[in-house]
Amino acid sequence: VKGSWSWRHAVLTLGAFLVVAAAIQASGVPGADLTTGFLRVVTTGGGWRNVLAKTTPLLLGGLAVYAALRAGLFNIGAEGQMVMGGLASAAVYLALPSPLGLFLGLIAGCAAGGLWAFPAGWIKAYRGGHEVISTIMLNWIGRFLSVYIVTGVLADPTDPSATTREIPPAALLPNVLELGAFRVNASLIIALVAMIAVTVWLTRTVSGYEVEAVGAAPKAAEAGGVLVKKVTVQAMTISGALCGLAGAMLVAGVDRRFYPDLAGGAGFDSLGVALLAVGSPLLTLPAALLFAFIDVSTSGLSLAGLPKGLSSLLLGLVILVFAAYRFQRRKG
Amino acid sequence: MEIFAAFLVSVLVYASPLALGALGGLASERSGVVNIALEGKMLTAACCAALAGQATGSVFLAVLSGVAGAVGASLLHAWLTQSFGIDHVISGMGINAIAIGATGYAADAAPILRSDSPVPTPEWWVWAAGGLFLAVAFHVFLQTSRGGLRLLAVGSDPDKARTSGLSPEMIRWKALAAAGVFCGLAGAMIAGTAGSFTKEMSAGRGYIALAALILGGWKPLPTLAWCLLFSLFNSLQIIFQGQGALGSLIPSEAFQAMPYVATLAALAFVVKSSRAPAGLGKP
Repeated sequence: VKGSWSWRHAVLTLGAFLVVAAAIQASGVPGADLTTGFLRVVTTGGGWRNVLAKTTPLLLGGLAVYAALRAGLFNIGAEGQMVMGGLASAAVYLALPSPLGLFLGLIAGCAAGGLWAFPAGWIKAYRGGHEVISTIMLNWIGRFLSVYIVTGVLADPTDPSATTREIPPAALLPNVLELGAFRVNASLIIALVAMIAVTVWLTRTVSGYEVEAVGAAPKAAEAGGVLVKKVTVQAMTISGALCGLAGAMLVAGVDRRFYPDLAGGAGFDSLGVALLAVGSPLLTLPAALLFAFIDVSTSGLSLAGLPKGLSSLLLGLVILVFAAYRFQRRKG
Repeated sequence: MEIFAAFLVSVLVYASPLALGALGGLASERSGVVNIALEGKMLTAACCAALAGQATGSVFLAVLSGVAGAVGASLLHAWLTQSFGIDHVISGMGINAIAIGATGYAADAAPILRSDSPVPTPEWWVWAAGGLFLAVAFHVFLQTSRGGLRLLAVGSDPDKARTSGLSPEMIRWKALAAAGVFCGLAGAMIAGTAGSFTKEMSAGRGYIALAALILGGWKPLPTLAWCLLFSLFNSLQIIFQGQGALGSLIPSEAFQAMPYVATLAALAFVVKSSRAPAGLGKP
């Protein structure tokens, strides 16, 4: 929705800048340290490796939220769907530590993520319950279920914290490129393929066109013969499956084990990634890179004394300022 | 008898911030503003209450500062949703992220939050009685007063309310300010009963309050009843955890997940969408 900008936007944008500047100033970290900290992320192989590792779940989660948004659905449940995907995949990797187990684990992750989103789609389509509420509830249920399972049947007996055993190397996703400290894991390639697949789905297929139609005008779509309820459930489930894949690849490509904090807020940041990707699913890639860069550089700087909360504060403000420009009320 | 009294106290101590938070959700949602930011507002209040309380040692300043913090967050919510027209869910998520970030920052950067003196707070029964009084008062306000009826009117059909001369925007600003007061009290009590501020100490209670609100059909007294029921289960869970055999029979995670499972089941099988305020989320 395009509208006119107003003095309010200037106040909000300036306010957000001032808050971040004041927070950085108050931390007492010298400016030179900040600059070298940020530069280290973009000029070293290790820095890029971390950014790309962080980009992968954000890209898939962002795509998932984006696809659901096109159908008019807010998937706030990305976090829980990533957790369930990671949990299911870890169970498969551990039971079958081989390349076949890796393949089946990734599929199990998709299935578990989809299963964890399906109730939200069903409740929205057939019961009229808001998907925001149901996905919030599913996030918490998934969290407690995963804690129960990794402190019970899947617990690592040698580790007192809630975690599974380490996944054997045979079931891990390999690096496709290693140049010193710079590494690219296969999970990023899979995520990029998923991005292209989602783009083709939404822009080049009948099914994707139906999703867009339901999101833009459900009543008109219904009148035009689109099965709105079916498309709603479908879009939500596919969104969940993408998040489940993200969780499965976090286990097999990054953490090598499952623990309840696996997603680490990536599911919530995915909403911001999807909002920033205005107009094209391909734009989830630069948005995910931006969020990953903010996350990696601020957590690196926390060693230099920058309080950890800054990253979350910054991302929240980015979302709000961006939404103020993007989602304006229609006048009249 | 003494054990039973202690049990009852633990139920009420847990229920009070829950009920206050749920009342905050009621004030905002009955006026038509979706409020998934209860968690962030309560967290902000807990942090502000601890900062002022531990710095000054004054109960009054602790509670006042908690309320001021949450009202500030809630007015930001009002500004974003009513002046910019940003989607309620997006702005709610943004406010939660900012609250987690800013309070996490304060926990790292403010040494006063690590001081030995506990956050000053009124006695638990003052909170419990206050929460009960506010729930009843809010019920009466909604059902009988001019302001309450206007709030309901704006929440159920903003366009019709607009044609009859009301300003939905103005009324929602006030409703969100009230939501801030309720969440502020809830957060001040959370910090006060814990004695100090810790990161993300609201621990999902803003969402449990939201669950109680939905199960209570957006009505103050049934919402209060659900808060009490959730608190009862929470206290039972703590008791069960200490008992070996009983604890392994029903895992504590099952108790913790109970409010969320109940809400999901209610959305799937009981609550009709018609029970939600009809104007929820509409400009």
